[in-house]
Amino acid sequence: MDFPLLTVIVFLPLLGAAVVALLGNARAVAGRVVAATVAVVDLALVAWLASRFDVDGGMQFVEKLTWVPQVGITYHLAIDGMSLAMVALSALLTVLAIVASWKTEKNPALWFSMLLLLEVGMNGVFVAMDFVLFYVFWELVLVPMYFLIATWGGPRRQYAAVKFFLYTLFGSVFMLVGIIALYLQTGTFNILEMAGAGLDPKFQWWVFAAFFLGFAVKVPVFPLHTWLPDAHVEAPTAASVLLAGVLLKMGSYGFLRISLPILPDAAAEWSTFIAALAAISIVYGAAVAFAQTDMKKLVAYSSVSHMGFVMLGIASMTPEGLNGAVAVMFSHGVVTGMLFFLVGMVYDRTHTRMIAEVSGLSSQVPVAGGLLAFASFASLGLPGLSGFVGEFLSLVGAWASDIPVGWVVLSAIGVLLAAAYMLWLVQRVVLGSPSAAVSGIADLSAREVAVLLPLVALTLIVGLYWDSLLRFTDPAVRSILAMMGGA
Amino acid sequence: MDWVTLIPLLPALAFVVLAPLSRAARAKLVPLAVAAVLGSLGLSIAAFLAVWPGGHGEVWQASVTIAHIGDRAITLGLALEPMSAIMLTVVTVVGACVQVYSLGYMHREDRIGWYYAVLSLFTAAMLALVLSDNFLGLFMAWEVMGLCSYLLIGFWHEQEAPRLASIKAFLTTKVGDLGFMLALAVVYAEAGAFDFATVLHHDWTAGTATLVALLMLFAAMGKSAQFPLHVWLPDAMAGPTPASALIHAATMVAAGVFLVVRAFPIFEASGIALTITLWVGLITALLAGLLAMVQHDIKKVLAYSTISQLGFMFIALGAGSSTAALYHLVTHAYFKSLLFLGAGVIIHAAHTQDMRQMGGLAKKLPVTSLAFASGSLALAGIVPFSGFWSKDEILAVLLHEHQYVAFAIALLAAFVTAFYVARLWFRVFTAPTQQEDLHEGHRSMLVPMVVLAVITAVIGFFGPTLGDFLGHEIPWPALGTAAISTVAALGGITLGWYVYGRRTSVVNTQALKQRFPHAYGVLANKYYFDLTYGYFVVGGYTTLARALATFDARVVDGVVNGVAAAWRSLSAAGWTFDGRIVDGAVNGAASAVRAAGDKVRTLQTGSVRSYQTLIAGAVVLLVVWILVKGA
Repeated sequence: MDFPLLTVIVFLPLLGAAVVALLGNARAVAGRVVAATVAVVDLALVAWLASRFDVDGGMQFVEKLTWVPQVGITYHLAIDGMSLAMVALSALLTVLAIVASWKTEKNPALWFSMLLLLEVGMNGVFVAMDFVLFYVFWELVLVPMYFLIATWGGPRRQYAAVKFFLYTLFGSVFMLVGIIALYLQTGTFNILEMAGAGLDPKFQWWVFAAFFLGFAVKVPVFPLHTWLPDAHVEAPTAASVLLAGVLLKMGSYGFLRISLPILPDAAAEWSTFIAALAAISIVYGAAVAFAQTDMKKLVAYSSVSHMGFVMLGIASMTPEGLNGAVAVMFSHGVVTGMLFFLVGMVYDRTHTRMIAEVSGLSSQVPVAGGLLAFASFASLGLPGLSGFVGEFLSLVGAWASDIPVGWVVLSAIGVLLAAAYMLWLVQRVVLGSPSAAVSGIADLSAREVAVLLPLVALTLIVGLYWDSLLRFTDPAVRSILAMMGGA
Repeated sequence: MDWVTLIPLLPALAFVVLAPLSRAARAKLVPLAVAAVLGSLGLSIAAFLAVWPGGHGEVWQASVTIAHIGDRAITLGLALEPMSAIMLTVVTVVGACVQVYSLGYMHREDRIGWYYAVLSLFTAAMLALVLSDNFLGLFMAWEVMGLCSYLLIGFWHEQEAPRLASIKAFLTTKVGDLGFMLALAVVYAEAGAFDFATVLHHDWTAGTATLVALLMLFAAMGKSAQFPLHVWLPDAMAGPTPASALIHAATMVAAGVFLVVRAFPIFEASGIALTITLWVGLITALLAGLLAMVQHDIKKVLAYSTISQLGFMFIALGAGSSTAALYHLVTHAYFKSLLFLGAGVIIHAAHTQDMRQMGGLAKKLPVTSLAFASGSLALAGIVPFSGFWSKDEILAVLLHEHQYVAFAIALLAAFVTAFYVARLWFRVFTAPTQQEDLHEGHRSMLVPMVVLAVITAVIGFFGPTLGDFLGHEIPWPALGTAAISTVAALGGITLGWYVYGRRTSVVNTQALKQRFPHAYGVLANKYYFDLTYGYFVVGGYTTLARALATFDARVVDGVVNGVAAAWRSLSAAGWTFDGRIVDGAVNGAASAVRAAGDKVRTLQTGSVRSYQTLIAGAVVLLVVWILVKGA
């Protein structure tokens, strides 16, 4: 058997988490070095895997071991271009989250080990091809995120953490039911084998509904989104970055990996409904973002809006739309990561997130102000930056599909509304004369710039040369569509 | 010929070098930006000569595939052909003039480096736009220009007015850009590609062509500030004047016209879209011209004049002559940038933009006033200055197409144009001097103006040559049309002189306002567009957004909290979380699997109803189970 690269990528952070925890708070300095090293090595392994990845090779680096033979549960890992994009995002953002929270003083051993434990779950979800394994990773993610919010969060952290936990758990209960139903019907937990099983459409409809609840809460889709702003506002910066950057994508990944290939007939039936919810999420999220007075809440609601474009692309079930969906997933991780990092860095200095109290960043701290403006333009979908690629392709795909034109046009209006809330933020926070909270603060440190630069670079690379991302996602998308057509 | 790529690349590189630097370092590297645009100018002239004598298709093309999707490839490419060759020279000549001029105009600004960086990025985007061989590339450059426009309008962002003007400009043009995005989606769905060759040779049905054309027209109306999306351009004058000259007069605002020229076969396939374009142009040319008559801010006069002149280009397009539109685009780019640069010198000298506080500048600023005269006469349409020839060509096309009503409106707009030009001229240059301490501009500012003034004075003689180059005929003006338009122009100037020019008995404009309060009110309030948009669109959206935010917190989240509260009371215990729930869920999964395994036999019945029952049962079981464990 080949070197189990995926297993190492998934479980190396678990080892790291254990070491960091054992070192304890007394040796926290050593602990965070271990954490950073493990995360960097993990990222390097992902890069190494990417360099050996055959873009047209379908599912690769397959590892399959019997786990619970009585019911056919296997330890089954594999990766395709779509999963690779998500794992890369997870590994990169974990490194940056660790570096960004380098100076954590409250219980640092637990903090860094929780970040690494979170990476185990995130990496695992995207490469698990056995339903039970997938579900284990899916739920595993909840635990460290719960602690990250509940321990290091803001004043209402308990409420936000419990709400986050219960809401997503509520969704995953239905997903579990769907998994069981599928197993009972097909006799396997193998996600890939189930695709194209030609299940009865009526049955598909019900299972789709169950999965929909599980995934839609995670994305989140209107009206199941209210856990998100609370979680973001209370979460510490690094947790917000990973929550928005990776955790939300688990939901849309579920649609792409599971709902579409396994339940194609139901997906076709549900597509208009999903497109409608997507369009509503886009416009509703944008409008509510516009009215926010708290920077973090604004970015949180912008996520609802952006993730709407993911759902629109998925609902289109066209090559353009699905590529667009994955591109938005990736870009949103990068750009929103940047935004949350920057809001956090501003908060560290001004001790406020209230938009009304922060102004004139570009005069006082030009690097921070400039990067916040850059991230804002990336977020509002300026062509040449990554945000445009996915939103544009989602719209193009949606237009070419059977989705009613009205929903597509409504979604397009979301692009305008994104410009409105983002520029209105820039207007008040970045431009103008420095406010009392801003005057006297120091600009970004070298460490903070180092956290942001990789994200800036990715935003530009993907925005200018789409194939840097799409060369990985397009073959995966084509195989999803082929599975749907084969049903 | 791959060096053509350098034409947009040089200013782009100047931006890449300047942007990340500190304020002080940027300021030192300003010459680099100027050198880059001069380099582009040299290469553009070389490119123009490479196309010469023109008359046929592209001489060079290069493209790069940026994406593979399914079995399609998305490419971005550049192509050098007569139209792009002409536009290259226009953009680089005006761009170079503006950059040299700005050395003098902006030398006191401590953020001059940032100004030059953005100006460079803008120039790069505009050059990429005119060279682009496909609609997607054109759109991307178009949006980057919008960003630069935003950044330059808001250059003095510490002040409220530029801040508000910049966001207004970005969002208003973005409204139009939605049309562009949707047009691209339709084009891709129909033709499967974005490149001009494929899209324009596609067999468009009238219906789809109309859809695409109208969406693109909407985009063009935003970018080229046509009614009713014109409201951003007058406010955009809050930016530095040389930037206004380049972006908000000569180049970016003409991009809308350029888009329609590029997509012209689709407009022709539609037919009705051309008629709508014509009327958009007519309404804009006249209404904006009327507004230019009542402005006191010299830049606002020029801004409304730009809107009105862009309207003339839309008239040409609507009448079916993309060549006439392009011709006017070219002449307008030179004479209007000249007027803006002149206005910059005037504003520096007079320390005000209000024409009521100016006067007698002709004696004090001799070079500026001569150059300004060249531009003014061109704008008014006096032979032999450039605007005369291109405006005449538009009027001739209208007559040729038997569009007599349109001809009359256009002629009226021309009359109005001449009037407001005269009003501006007499107020600023010949009215009694109100200030003593007036200084002519620095040489770095005067040289570019003289260059543009000379071009404006002579370019009209090359109309037919330009037509040959483009492969379309541009005839010398017919004597009849020329006579009519000259009478209109002279009439406008005479009236302007009568009201504002005479020393002895200046007409009491105050009395006119009192005599026609309603008409004046409509004009003074700019036809109430800004008030309407401000109240209904901006105000409405803000109210809606706040209402939705409240709805989200109270209702959507209220339901969630309500369910949670109900759940809590049901389980009769507080949710003090201790990790057991996770175990519970995982164990629940396992036991459910086990339980379900026993039930496999039942499933062999195959009835949908039993599956549904099973799912419902499982959900109930799990929920109850978690409740028990959680408590």
